[in-house]
Amino acid sequence: MAAASVAELVGAFGVPHNPHFPDWVRDGAPLAGEVSEMYATVAEALAACKPDALLYITSDHYNLFFETLPVFMIGVAESAVGASDYPTIPRREVRIDSRLARHLQRYLLEHDFDVGALQELTLDHTVIAPLWFIAANWDLPIVPFFINAFLRPLPSARRCFALGRALREAITAYPAGRVAVVASGSFSVEIGGPRIFADAHVGVPAPEWTDRVLELLRAADVETLVRESTDEQLAAAGNAGGEVLDWITMLAMFDPAPPATLDVQPWFGHAYATWPSP
Amino acid sequence: MVRPRLRNLALAVSVYAVNKLCRRVVQEPELRRSLAEQPEATLRALAPPLSEEEIAMLLAGDVGALAKHGTNHFLLHQLARWGLLGLDLPTHGARIRAAFPEQALRSP
Repeated sequence: MAAASVAELVGAFGVPHNPHFPDWVRDGAPLAGEVSEMYATVAEALAACKPDALLYITSDHYNLFFETLPVFMIGVAESAVGASDYPTIPRREVRIDSRLARHLQRYLLEHDFDVGALQELTLDHTVIAPLWFIAANWDLPIVPFFINAFLRPLPSARRCFALGRALREAITAYPAGRVAVVASGSFSVEIGGPRIFADAHVGVPAPEWTDRVLELLRAADVETLVRESTDEQLAAAGNAGGEVLDWITMLAMFDPAPPATLDVQPWFGHAYATWPSP
Repeated sequence: MVRPRLRNLALAVSVYAVNKLCRRVVQEPELRRSLAEQPEATLRALAPPLSEEEIAMLLAGDVGALAKHGTNHFLLHQLARWGLLGLDLPTHGARIRAAFPEQALRSP
């Protein structure tokens, strides 16, 4: 078979990023086995699609951005270290595919998405914790992409869907390579706010919204997910409820399809999903 | 019209200062040490400055009042995560739930 003349999207994935999961697995906590197995399903599918680079869509948790609040930002440095916010997660330096990152930024700007560039950055637990599971001993270069999902005003779901479509086009406008994409985030979660469980510092304020997102994922109904992901709904889903925007951006990068695997931890308001060969 | 707008601006800037403190404690070990050893002096030396009311709420670990004051809830919990100002995560949780009882969740 002749080598592809343009880059291609070879896999899409969704993962949670609980910062304590690496500790739990290391210490053999009660949920360690379940967490390991669910991440392993993603890790195996990611490895099987043999990517050259991983577009990593996430939302900063006030670690990179606060004094300045970009809506969309892409990391274009050569590498970055982390986790900047949780020293208990084994620290690592992650290679960044700077050439692909700069191409994506340029393409997006040419197509009316005013995405900023981070020429120096650290990575927080939203990147480093999942990578600990899905690319533990793998020097897979990433392209970190940040969507503001925390400090309002947030970008709309419709805008994030359009962004995902533009990213899809941008990848096919790249000369060559196998690119996978991962979205990092939950559907309903509150951290440190009043809507937390009595015995924890987190909570799931809208379990019915988690169920609805899962239903729409299984039905491959991204259009309805976008329509129902209003700012009010995301706010009702918790102070990290905006993270579904990361998933919507990822979902826009391929034609709607049910996930090949979908593992759910409802008491965390999150899921692990794979779309190999989207 | 001018005076109320100026008061609102002052409040917004001040809440920003509390939020910024909570953000900085995650990234700055030296600030955490200083807050642990000399909390009041450290709070008074911050820039942008905190109001007297905010300093009092912080020294009391009154995250419920700080949350009602407009401080970001996620950022507030960082004080407890790092064990600062007499806070730990269970104390933070109890106080912030008590401040907004109508929003409290039952455990699953």
